[in-house]
Amino acid sequence: MDHRNNKMGWLFTSPYLLYSLIFFFGPLIWSFFLSVTDWNLIAPTFNLVGIENFANALKSPSVHSAFWVTYKFMIIFVPIVTVLATAVAVLVHGLPRFKSLFLIGFFLPYLSSGVVSSLIAKGLLSYTSPMNVFLRKMGLDIDWLGTPLSALGIVGLILAWKFTGYYALILTSGLESIDKEVYEAAAIDGVTDRQRFWRITLPLLYPSLYTTLILAFGVTFGIFTEVYQLTGGGPNNATNTWQMEIFKQAFTNLQAGYASAVALLASVATFISIFIIRKLLEIWGKRNGWV
Amino acid sequence: MVGSNRNRGIRRTVRYALAMILLLVMVYPYLYMVLNSFADWAHIDKQLLPTKYSLKSYEWLFTGGETGIPRPWLHAFLNSVMVSLASTVLMMIFGVMVAYALSKLNFFGRNAINNFVLFHMFFPAIILLIPTFLIIQRVGLYDSYLGLILPKAVSLWAIFMYTNFFKAVPTVFIEAARLDGASDLKIMYKIMLPMSKSITTVIFLFLLMERWTELLWDMIVVKSDRMLTLNVLISQMFGPYGSYPGPLYAASALLTLPIIIMFIIFGKKFQEGMQFSLK
Repeated sequence: MDHRNNKMGWLFTSPYLLYSLIFFFGPLIWSFFLSVTDWNLIAPTFNLVGIENFANALKSPSVHSAFWVTYKFMIIFVPIVTVLATAVAVLVHGLPRFKSLFLIGFFLPYLSSGVVSSLIAKGLLSYTSPMNVFLRKMGLDIDWLGTPLSALGIVGLILAWKFTGYYALILTSGLESIDKEVYEAAAIDGVTDRQRFWRITLPLLYPSLYTTLILAFGVTFGIFTEVYQLTGGGPNNATNTWQMEIFKQAFTNLQAGYASAVALLASVATFISIFIIRKLLEIWGKRNGWV
Repeated sequence: MVGSNRNRGIRRTVRYALAMILLLVMVYPYLYMVLNSFADWAHIDKQLLPTKYSLKSYEWLFTGGETGIPRPWLHAFLNSVMVSLASTVLMMIFGVMVAYALSKLNFFGRNAINNFVLFHMFFPAIILLIPTFLIIQRVGLYDSYLGLILPKAVSLWAIFMYTNFFKAVPTVFIEAARLDGASDLKIMYKIMLPMSKSITTVIFLFLLMERWTELLWDMIVVKSDRMLTLNVLISQMFGPYGSYPGPLYAASALLTLPIIIMFIIFGKKFQEGMQFSLK
């Protein structure tokens, strides 16, 4: 490491430097600029409008819903996927054989395209599907994607289906790193299964759990495909995520300036939320003495 | 003691049964998709698993059936293959190059670039969407392969993963190779890459999967039918062809199965790599 090699260093990093110039700094500056214009994506001219876009965005009901929908998805998606992934990890970890085979099987949903999983969900929820036929016989006629709460739930479930196996893989490697002797010592002391999970497994699993939780919270800020396919953000903006709102404003309504302002607000909300979530998770770990 | 042994046997069986049931629930949607793609049209979306089969859905994909409009399914599939492979290969090459420099070369500005990669990786990318689209449009790459590939030619995550991995490779190897007169390019190709096979499998599969299933970018940057990727084509057919679920299932199977087969082939290596990358 002693000899300096500036030429090689810059040569090897140049693809990234060039890329970040064109696809990071350029767009970033342009985005700030767009957000103070009324440009509509096609017109040759535009006006500077100052903070008008931001003021309008802060008053817009669909922006408000985008803000809240993110947290609604969090409440649905994060607990479901965490409980499922932990269950899968603990279950598979306890199997004496075929561990890898099961883990690979559980991972398969992660490979799905959001378009495809939405199509399958739509099929399973179609009017003629066995589940709906059965429910109608019971006197329940549910418009799954036309009702706010169930639409949120369906999208949350599709995402949980996709990510469970991936997170289970992360949690399993966390479980593998726990020393077997700890369990043996606990068994000698006559610890029950329940105590074993809450007092030994969970605390030692915390670092991996932290990783999956951060990933899961992150997912809720980037939901687009499933919502775009299934609800278009509806009913009545009930599933209108940030990405959906920005896409609609920019590419359907052609309000490039306004959409850039919304995107900036979305980024600020995302950034602050993730920061707070990280801090809360760390505090939670420290309180319980897991870190 | 006999009792506890039998108890353990029962518990083990219950565990396997539970794992099997859970796994079946998780793969059921895929099974549903594949079987419905082969189902007789009168039976689609009517049973938990269809009982009557035909190849009509696949035939429809290529002929357009009674609508008489053949959609560019095959072309879209080839577009997907080309765009995903090109993007992924570029992301891998640049990932290895940049990571090698950041982990094994000593140069002015290295720490700054290293920190910037981390900042860039966690930056909310949604701000960049509209201007990136405008840049692609201004340089005349709208509705072109390069427009699909270039903005996705570098992966911060790949750089990050490779940098961490390369840092663990002892510098002695590199010093020794250098004394033998090996160039940096040769060191990268002959020493670093062979040592990182398992992590390369993980990075490759993740990147390919992500690129293969991309919707938002591929949707806004493409206008003409001949440029569509399969994922976008299915997405476009979703609403208007809602009364033709069979062909949609067939196209979905064509989109999903290649990536699953690839994953199963590389499964063992993938798991080794995952174990490593999670440590």
